[in-house]
Amino acid sequence: MSENGSGKGPERQIIFEDVSKFYGDVLGVNRVNLSIPPGITSLVGPNGSGKTTLMNLMTGLVRPTRGRISVLGIAPDQPEQLFRRVGYCTQFDSFPRGITGYQFVYSFLRLSGHRHAEAHDLAEQAIERVGLTEAAGRKVAAYSKGMRQRIKLAHSICHNPSVLVLDEPLNGLDPLIRAESIALFRGLAQAGRHLLISSHVLHEVDLISDQVVLLSNGYVVAEGQIHSVRDEIQDHPTQILIRCNKPAELASQAFQQDCVVEARIHNDGMGVLVKTRDADRFYLMLNHIAQNGINIESVAPADADVLSVYEYLVGSEESTK
Amino acid sequence: MAVHKRSYRGYSGQLTPLWTRFLIVTRYGFENVFRSKLLTALFVCCCFFPFGCAVAIYLNQNVQVLALLNIHTMFDVDGRFFFHFLNGQLGMAFVLTALAGPGLVSSDLANNALPLYLCRPFSRVDYVVGKMTILVALLSLITWAPGLILFLIQASLAGASWTIANLWMAGSIFVASGIDILVLGLLSLALSAWIKRRLAAGAALLGVFFFGAGFGQAINAVLSTHIGSLLNVGELMGSVHVALFRVSSRPPIPADLAWLSLLAICVFCVMLLERKVRAYEVVKG
Repeated sequence: MSENGSGKGPERQIIFEDVSKFYGDVLGVNRVNLSIPPGITSLVGPNGSGKTTLMNLMTGLVRPTRGRISVLGIAPDQPEQLFRRVGYCTQFDSFPRGITGYQFVYSFLRLSGHRHAEAHDLAEQAIERVGLTEAAGRKVAAYSKGMRQRIKLAHSICHNPSVLVLDEPLNGLDPLIRAESIALFRGLAQAGRHLLISSHVLHEVDLISDQVVLLSNGYVVAEGQIHSVRDEIQDHPTQILIRCNKPAELASQAFQQDCVVEARIHNDGMGVLVKTRDADRFYLMLNHIAQNGINIESVAPADADVLSVYEYLVGSEESTK
Repeated sequence: MAVHKRSYRGYSGQLTPLWTRFLIVTRYGFENVFRSKLLTALFVCCCFFPFGCAVAIYLNQNVQVLALLNIHTMFDVDGRFFFHFLNGQLGMAFVLTALAGPGLVSSDLANNALPLYLCRPFSRVDYVVGKMTILVALLSLITWAPGLILFLIQASLAGASWTIANLWMAGSIFVASGIDILVLGLLSLALSAWIKRRLAAGAALLGVFFFGAGFGQAINAVLSTHIGSLLNVGELMGSVHVALFRVSSRPPIPADLAWLSLLAICVFCVMLLERKVRAYEVVKG
């Protein structure tokens, strides 16, 4: 029986309630409140912003100093139940000495409590999913960086978890494997799983995420779908790129509107980049302009991506330090 | 918000009992340990002395051999015999621990591998027990296991009256070996957890024994006391052995104080492990 994945009950969500973590006098994360639904959620933030701490907290590897965490209704301090449903791919390359790719996945399945035959089948399936079947019998020490990432991914998905926590899973992957991995993430998310991904590759975060959590200095500075987050940033005018046949005329007309703060011809001369504090009003106005003989080919937000939002929210904080 | 159909089916079958999972770590640890030819060779060497003792016990009970040598008995198989046997084997056990122990935790910590273990239904206690079991099994095979085999050989040759009169020695062999294995294992794991370089951790274990002994002797000499012997882990073990095997020599430290000191060392090692064996490490400064 398939269930609708948009359920909002605590047994379908990952919930952080006023969670803080201090490592002695070092701040990990502070006052985090999050409800993470199924789908791909990306954690974005500079080094030391608390991404890994947040992941460690929800997998029970670190206990919160304050607050409560629930992963699909399970507290992280119940590892026997939690890790039947959670898979964690750490950012570190760490493999027991002399072990092969297959043994790596198989041995940790045994550690999860699977018997030999099941562990063997599940290990082979997971290795096949990450495209490492041919290299499974080789020692991990001889693997490339990308192969190590993939075998770690196989290790985290092998027991078919409902929640996947992936710390920098795209690091070191070449473009082809990266695309395959993203497709794999998409497939896992479409099956109704929760995927929590931390990444520095912001344009890929944009491509794969259903929602983002932006972190800075241990605080959540924004969360939600990237477009919603962008809409709530009032300090920075929205940038809109309009492709048209008469960019100079469009720029002139756009600049006469009081909601437009800047209008300039795009570098390639084939469009206008408009900055506005009221995007909805500008779009209405654009309808009138289109009726005045300007042929508009496309209209698209130019800064409603993670990189821009990241720079607006986190970059400004970094620069004020 | 994205809406996804939940089409996957998680594993809902039976799992192995939680208490047996530490054995997975032990099994893979054993494979690693015996990958070293030096260690394997040393382990084989550790079996020579028990084998020699077994032959000696057999000859000691063989009437024809005794008649040939024209003696009533070559030696007495008593507490002193097992005391010396165990001391000899513990020397080998110490070298084995110094080679096998330091790499057990340090390599995982150096590679930040603990989250790998702990992001399974597997606790820090399971991890330490799994690693400790490697040393316990390894050292048991060269201490109390051959000791008890020697006891059984002697018992089978000497008859029921000897066995009943000396049954306490079997207990002593087991308890003396047990406490030594515990101290050696915990010390080795604690040093392995705190010193990330395998060689340095091995050197530190040697240092604890030899530097502690030297420092203890210096204190004894300067202050004209025996209190410095508390720093000598080997002597502490020796005092416990003397009491357990009812050997007549008088150790510098009373047995009960030696017991307490060894217990304190174990507790301290557990505290060190508790502090270091964690899924994360905070680097300040």
